[in-house]
Amino acid sequence: MFTGQDSGKVVIWNMSPVLQEDDEKDENVPKMLCQMDNHLACVNCVRWSNSGMYLASGGDDKLIMVWKRATYIGPSTVFGSSGKLANVEQWRCVSILRSHSGDVMDVAWSPHDAWLASCSVDNTVVIWNAVKFPEILATLRGHSGLVKGLTWDPVGKYIASQADDRSLKVWRTLDWQLETSITKPFDECGGTTHVLRLSWSPDGHYLVSAHAMNNSGPTAQIIEREGWKTNMDFVGHRKAVTVVKFNPKIFKKKQKNGSSAKPSCPYCCCAVGSKDRSLSVWLTCLKRPLVVIHELFDKSIMDISWTLNGLGILVCSMDGSVAFLDFSQDELGDPLSEEEKSRIHQSTYGKSLAIMTETQLSTAVIENPEMLKYQRRQQQQQLDQKGSAARETGSATSVAGVVNGESLEDIRKNLLKKQVETRTADGRRRITPLCIAQLDTGYSFTHRAFCGLLWEVFLSPFTRDFSTAFFNSIPLSGSLAGTMLTSHSSPQLLPLDSSTPVPFGTSKPSTEPVAATGTRPAGDSVSKDSVNAASAPAAPSPSILTTPSKIEPMKAFDSRFTERSKATPGAPALAGLTPTAMERLKEQSLVKELRPRDVLESSSDSDEKVPVAKPSSLSKRKLELEVETVEKKKKGRPRKDSRLMPMSLSVQSPAALTAEKDAVCLSVPAAALKLPMPGPQRAFTLQVSSDPSMYIEVENEVTAVGGIKLSRLKCSREGKEWETVLTSRILTAAGSCDVVCVACEKRMLSVFSTCGRRLLPPILLPSPISTLHCTGSYVMALTATATLSVWDVHRQIVVVKEESLHSILAGSDMTVSQILLTQHGIPVMNLSDGKAYCFNPSLSAWNLVSDKQDSLAQCADFRSSLPPQDAMLCSGPLAIVQGRASTSGRQAARLFSVPHMVQQETTLAYLESQVAAALTLRSSHEYRHWLLLYVRYLVNEGFEYRLREICKDLLGPVHSSTGSQWESTVVGLRKRDLLKELLPVIGQNLRFQRLFTECQEQLDILRDK
Amino acid sequence: MAKVSVLNVAVLENPSPFHSPFRFEISFECSEALADDLEWKIIYVGSAESEEFDQILDSVLVGPVPAGRHMFVFQADAPDPSLIPETDAVGVTVVLITCTYHGQEFIRVGYYVNNEYPNPELRENPPLKPDFSQLQRNILASNPRVTRFHINWDNNTDRLEAIENHDPALGCGFPLSCTPIKGLGLPGCIPGLLPENSMDCI
Repeated sequence: MFTGQDSGKVVIWNMSPVLQEDDEKDENVPKMLCQMDNHLACVNCVRWSNSGMYLASGGDDKLIMVWKRATYIGPSTVFGSSGKLANVEQWRCVSILRSHSGDVMDVAWSPHDAWLASCSVDNTVVIWNAVKFPEILATLRGHSGLVKGLTWDPVGKYIASQADDRSLKVWRTLDWQLETSITKPFDECGGTTHVLRLSWSPDGHYLVSAHAMNNSGPTAQIIEREGWKTNMDFVGHRKAVTVVKFNPKIFKKKQKNGSSAKPSCPYCCCAVGSKDRSLSVWLTCLKRPLVVIHELFDKSIMDISWTLNGLGILVCSMDGSVAFLDFSQDELGDPLSEEEKSRIHQSTYGKSLAIMTETQLSTAVIENPEMLKYQRRQQQQQLDQKGSAARETGSATSVAGVVNGESLEDIRKNLLKKQVETRTADGRRRITPLCIAQLDTGYSFTHRAFCGLLWEVFLSPFTRDFSTAFFNSIPLSGSLAGTMLTSHSSPQLLPLDSSTPVPFGTSKPSTEPVAATGTRPAGDSVSKDSVNAASAPAAPSPSILTTPSKIEPMKAFDSRFTERSKATPGAPALAGLTPTAMERLKEQSLVKELRPRDVLESSSDSDEKVPVAKPSSLSKRKLELEVETVEKKKKGRPRKDSRLMPMSLSVQSPAALTAEKDAVCLSVPAAALKLPMPGPQRAFTLQVSSDPSMYIEVENEVTAVGGIKLSRLKCSREGKEWETVLTSRILTAAGSCDVVCVACEKRMLSVFSTCGRRLLPPILLPSPISTLHCTGSYVMALTATATLSVWDVHRQIVVVKEESLHSILAGSDMTVSQILLTQHGIPVMNLSDGKAYCFNPSLSAWNLVSDKQDSLAQCADFRSSLPPQDAMLCSGPLAIVQGRASTSGRQAARLFSVPHMVQQETTLAYLESQVAAALTLRSSHEYRHWLLLYVRYLVNEGFEYRLREICKDLLGPVHSSTGSQWESTVVGLRKRDLLKELLPVIGQNLRFQRLFTECQEQLDILRDK
Repeated sequence: MAKVSVLNVAVLENPSPFHSPFRFEISFECSEALADDLEWKIIYVGSAESEEFDQILDSVLVGPVPAGRHMFVFQADAPDPSLIPETDAVGVTVVLITCTYHGQEFIRVGYYVNNEYPNPELRENPPLKPDFSQLQRNILASNPRVTRFHINWDNNTDRLEAIENHDPALGCGFPLSCTPIKGLGLPGCIPGLLPENSMDCI
């Protein structure tokens, strides 16, 4: 337990005397473990990190201090304070976070401890990088009043804040932008409360605010994650609700022997504290509060904290006292284990736990030293950075003892002799102090037994006005202890006289005092807890597909609410919005079905209103988007990018489009495909490339001698020019660094070298030209009848022979919106419906390489497999074709909710299609990129068979046989080199140690050959 | 928050003759490496009546100070007897150890010092003119009084607000067996800061 104090002091208390009377009487059990008096002013909030390793405290001095238990120091007295009050535990401030310009009102650790959020009366919320203090990740601005409460979504997707400006804001952790601002329940709110501590339910479904009003009655507003609906609330308190705190556990009904083993829905438990000095505890499966304790304190409740096992609750008040309430499992139910809880999270939001964590690793058998070596090497790098710190912790256990083999006593004796004393320039003595201990700044040292017992955080009174009176006048023990109260689930309070000083012998401190209490079932579950939390950020996602019935919704309150609002004519509109719970459920599932999976759509409100109209509006938007981009290109320099050519602009309204579509399908034969043709122009210029700068100029019908009309083709490349003439008018031209080609009237296509030399006699096209395209030595011609040909003019071979676009354009009025010819002569057609096809010459077939509406891309989530630096900026034909769609996919799961299994499958399918597409496009860079990603995902998620197949193919036959079909390269990359690159990835998961070993050995054999 | 906190001050060679040097072994902890040196001073309070008689026995720079725990021995010569009023030579007075960073004092440790003649005869009948060579100095090492001040540890110029870390508790209940405590702890320096500070005592 942990309290903050108005005097700027933070005190860590031992819980065991509170829990057990024996310990209370035992004078050897210290009651106060540590006092930290570093804050300069009133401390408003203190919070343990989820791991229990750190404490964060925020106060009126605008600072947030992060504390860590100092491991290298044995228990010692604070110099200048009496032995009785010595700190049994040493907590050291490891970081001071300065950014707020006003009092810090609340701090909150994210579920995985990677972020720390703080809010302040300066109207901001600051997100700190808890891995790298004092780095600020984001400052959330938007509140127009003092921000007085913070809570993280248990899966780490959101953070919510509540402020005096009568709003509650939910922010996304993805981009730290505002997700929603809820004001309605707070409209009536008058007056202010000291704090507005809101809380998110452990299952993630509900967010409960402090101080809301409903029909001029104070309530705690329940906000559903799904659509941020505010239909329910906790009512009953007579004054404003100051604190809401969910029990960290999810409960299920206690199974009674003999009764039918009907599995009941899990439910949550929530404590609500108010200015009216009473506390209510609610179960989401009950209509009425489980227990209400009136007059618990003399003043308003300031903070509430549940014990880690979920059965105890600590409540503190502005009157300076702290109460402890103890529940039994009969009252609350059976708490779900952390595994069950994470299973609920996983099934609801999806996340990967497959990478084994350190604790689990210890149970795995290491079969191969190579693997170990590899892992060691990785760890080494981290260790090196913390070298000194790590070394220090090694000796730390022996406590304050030995420096370089010398005991402290020896050092002392010789200190004066050894002491280095110099003279400064101005003649002053300067002593170099002898360092007797370094600080353990690393994260390497944990004390699990300890964190298992530490209870969450507490905040006690912050009566600023008192502070001056307090100081100097009140004896230490009294002011620190306040009155400590215990209560055993009944309002009967047993005072615990902690104001009697706790004498403790100097022999005592060397043992960990808290370890003796044993109130929690070992640190095991805690470490698991933190493990789960650690992987949480990998794939948090909201719920859309999951059924809300999994967790008992708070129907009870709903109905109560409805009753109330019906009774009062003041809120008829609200009543209309709250159908019964069943209806709502149905409605939700309906909406879910109708909702198209598109990441672009985020507003669920609009879904509900016009679910049917959406798909068309969606496609319209898409179309417009494309048109826009195409137009942009046109507006730029004339055809600046020779590789991307707008083909046609169809700006039809989507309604007309769909209508037409039906008609077309019925009547128009597909053979009537007709592509637009360029009309003859008098003259035109075309920039082939800007670096090297290369232009083609065409001048038609230049009158030459004797009245013969000729066309002139001029090409300028980095100042060098050449010119040639053609007999017929030039309709279109294209060029690359290697060739220049022009299509003329009479279906003639001529090709010239970079110096203007004609390479071929004119090629006769089957029909008039529509588009001409060049990349490298490849020339592509698309004719008006939608046939496509690609030649390699240097090698003088055909790559694609008069292939019809019929198959990809058939059956609809789609148009080609973009054409791309890769450097390997693979033509790619982007169509107006967002699909892109490439022609695969070896298969002589069209391959679908991209689909903007591909739901796979939107369901896939492989963020966790992305390399640290964002290599998504991988460029190549695939990226060009897919555009932004390919990047949105990787985070889709955060915006979408899919059961984990489904998400895994879609991600796999998506990644596989990306690898295949890159391969077909012969884009080696992208192939490597996607292959790595794919393998990383396989490794993370533990798919052995697929991984093995890939490795096998990349490795090929080790002992060469003549009959082998195996190619040693793929799209120009050596397969075995690729495998070498993949091995470190595979080595990350101990599960694949055999595979790792096999590949490693065989590669070694190959190398030795 | 203070970057430097004093963990312990051990008084060496105590009691000792009046003329022998003071020796304090100081261990302190630094939470962040300091850019500049710390300046430590030993001040001997010649007379409780007036600051005039304060003697700075020595001042020393300590550095460099990386993060961690450090210790050093601070040795300073005995006070100059000629500067001590004769009436105050025998009896209880105070020695102060102060530490400043960038000229700002952040900690002050005060000890009661009892100067007396170990010789019972002299004790009974002290000479009119104090015989310093016969005097023994006894520092009440078990009862340091520690006062901490909040200072600005950073280089930036904004001066520290005068909020202090008041520690309401300590400072009472000190067994005042030795009577003349006048001026103990804070004789003189920075009187402006005084009311805002609390004292920790043992």
